Amino acid sequence: MSNPPHSPHYADQAISCTVSVLENLQIARNTYRLRFESPQMSRRFLPGQFLMLRLAGLQDPLLGRPLALYDTVCKDDGTPRGIDVVYLVMGKMTSLLAEASPGDKLSVWGPLGNGFYPQPVNHLIMVAGGVGYTPFPAVAREHLGSRQYGQPARTTPGASRVSMCYGARSAEFLAGIENFSEIGVELHLATDNGSRGHHGLVTDVLEQVLEQSDSDSRRILCCGPEPMMKRVAEIAEQQQIDCDVSLETPMACGIGICFSCVARVREEADGWDYKRTCVDGPVFDARQIRW
Amino acid sequence: MTPERAKEAVANMCNETGMDLSTQLGRLRLRNPILVASGTFGYAREMKGLVDLNRLGAIVPKTITQQPRLGNTPRRTVETPAGMLNSIGLDNDGIDAFILNHLPCLKQFEAATIVSIAGRTEAEFISMAQKLDQAEGVSALELNISCPNVTGGVDFGTDPEACRRVVQGVVRSCGVPVLAKLTPNVTDIAAIAQAAAAGGADAISVINTLLGMAVNWRGRRPILGNVMGGLSGPAIKPVALRCVYQVARAVDVPVVGIGGISTIDDVMEFLVAGASAIQLGTANFSDPTVSTRILDQLPAALAEAGVSSAMEIVGTLENKPPQPAVPDCCH
Ligand SMILES: Cc1cc2nc3c(=O)[nH]c(=O)nc-3n(C[C@H](O)[C@H](O)[C@H](O)COP(=O)(O)OP(=O)(O)OC[C@H]3O[C@@H](n4cnc5c(N)ncnc54)[C@H](O)[C@@H]3O)c2cc1C
Ligand SMILES: Cc1cc2nc3c(=O)[nH]c(=O)nc-3n(C[C@H](O)[C@H](O)[C@H](O)COP(=O)(O)O)c2cc1C
Ligand code: FES
Repeated sequence: MSNPPHSPHYADQAISCTVSVLENLQIARNTYRLRFESPQMSRRFLPGQFLMLRLAGLQDPLLGRPLALYDTVCKDDGTPRGIDVVYLVMGKMTSLLAEASPGDKLSVWGPLGNGFYPQPVNHLIMVAGGVGYTPFPAVAREHLGSRQYGQPARTTPGASRVSMCYGARSAEFLAGIENFSEIGVELHLATDNGSRGHHGLVTDVLEQVLEQSDSDSRRILCCGPEPMMKRVAEIAEQQQIDCDVSLETPMACGIGICFSCVARVREEADGWDYKRTCVDGPVFDARQIRW
Repeated sequence: MTPERAKEAVANMCNETGMDLSTQLGRLRLRNPILVASGTFGYAREMKGLVDLNRLGAIVPKTITQQPRLGNTPRRTVETPAGMLNSIGLDNDGIDAFILNHLPCLKQFEAATIVSIAGRTEAEFISMAQKLDQAEGVSALELNISCPNVTGGVDFGTDPEACRRVVQGVVRSCGVPVLAKLTPNVTDIAAIAQAAAAGGADAISVINTLLGMAVNWRGRRPILGNVMGGLSGPAIKPVALRCVYQVARAVDVPVVGIGGISTIDDVMEFLVAGASAIQLGTANFSDPTVSTRILDQLPAALAEAGVSSAMEIVGTLENKPPQPAVPDCCH
């Protein structure tokens, strides 16, 4: 039942390049979808992997920022064209990025990290808090068989049912909801202020979904703020459901050379060690994490 | 001639003249002066997919210690204006794991391997040096007597006599060239450099990071788990350049310039100020392929300076008053 061990993922497949912004659209409050051109990168990306992105030529902001793959973009004839990322305006870099226009130059390197490892499962349940929802459209498409990723395109053991529990501060921060419905995902929403969906925590919604799911082949994938992921991991543990979490530790390089992005990962005999989430993750079996 | 054409012409000339990029750090000869700094390039294997590691002058892997160290509590880095603070705290698996797991991989690359070590005591430095002396694939040692993120280690970098003793102890106990890496967090870096030179160091690396801090005022909290951390990146370049200049004037041994280097112009400034080689640090984070790109640009920059080898430009700063800025078109 347990996950195959995630092997370290060095940036062997990564490409580092300067790319042009194709489009930069607001899709929810303070939330933008940025599209850039890079057929090469598009060909290689797997759901749950991330890239590092910075504004080309600037020394301030200096470092790249990690952003998850939102989806790969293809031309009409199906050939790879570029990458979509979705970002929430947080601080220095993302504020500037929100002003980027088509043609502006970005420095990017990726794909990075391990991504979500596909497993045969009846009912796949994705749980997202805030902008942590970004990896999931691609994960859902892959599991429902509507898109393939990687080079050579990997064939995924599908899921017959995919649910998404998605929580945000308020309705206006919920992004890409129509997308999920189009893909065929059962959507369960929660907001802190009750402006849409359940009034309260997304973990409440998860518990309801689990109650209504009688499949004995279930799997939870989770990404969001740490307290939320910790709670989801507890629920999964109690109900003995496999659970993967995608950690969002602050990063400086994204490629394993700085040792800033560490998380406490369990080792044999009750011990733990700091592991670099950029090359040993960002996706971990929830049981591995010492929260 | 357009600037592009001029550049092209210079580049071609370099290929034809075969610019000599090699440099000498005491007993250590390097194929070129472009190195990557400890703690900013992992153990190099992480970079295999992005950088042709055979081309670098040398690789300095992350500092190792006698015993494994967990490192400091996150958060470990934060960006600051044109720079960053780090408090990694020498997170490493210890010397034995390094020799077993990382050295064999580093050995495969044509770049020299300068192993960075940090001991808590002189005896620990010496025993690590002896162990590495026996191992295969160690081109030189860099003594990290300057890490701001651990207590104990830093005394060797601030007390000239302690510095001389530890350098001498290591030099006498092993057969490989020894570099001493100094901290800028001292009143008189030239005095420490003289002590390292007196101890027999083959070269002196300057600088490690500057001690700094970042605060989240809303939360009334320090941002780094360790409260304080080391500042690096473009923000520290002027300080690093000043240190290289002071050290190069104070000692006869070669200097390795480190601190805020991210462009070919930065490299040339350090060479002119007295560095025989340079290390790229934080620049590897913001631009993973910076090292080989700068290497590509080096021959043309040296040609522009009118020299035919890298060593010819080292320490050529003239003590003349600065020239008034005259636009190119007026010449
Ligand atoms: C693997 C991974 C994937 C990610 N994917 C996405 C994504 O798809 N979309 C998205 O919007 N964001 C994503 N993030 C988070 C994103 O990287 C940060 O929001 C971004 O770095 C903020 O940059 P900034 O310059 O705007 O903010 P800064 O000015 O750097 O920071 C603003 C504030 O946020 C804090 N902060 C910054 N980064 C983090 C972090 N990682 N964790 C906790 N606090 C932080 C800072 O301390 C500061 O208080 C991801 C992070 C990781 C590690
Ligand atoms: C994240 C990080 C980790 C570092 N770790 C080490 C280390 O283990 N040993 C060491 O000698 N220097 C270490 N340094 C210092 C660098 O090697 C270099 O001296 C310093 O960062 C200045 O150069 P830069 O401005 O080009 O980064 C580290 C620097 C950073 C940013
Ligand atoms: S972000 Fe640098 S090691 Fe992970």
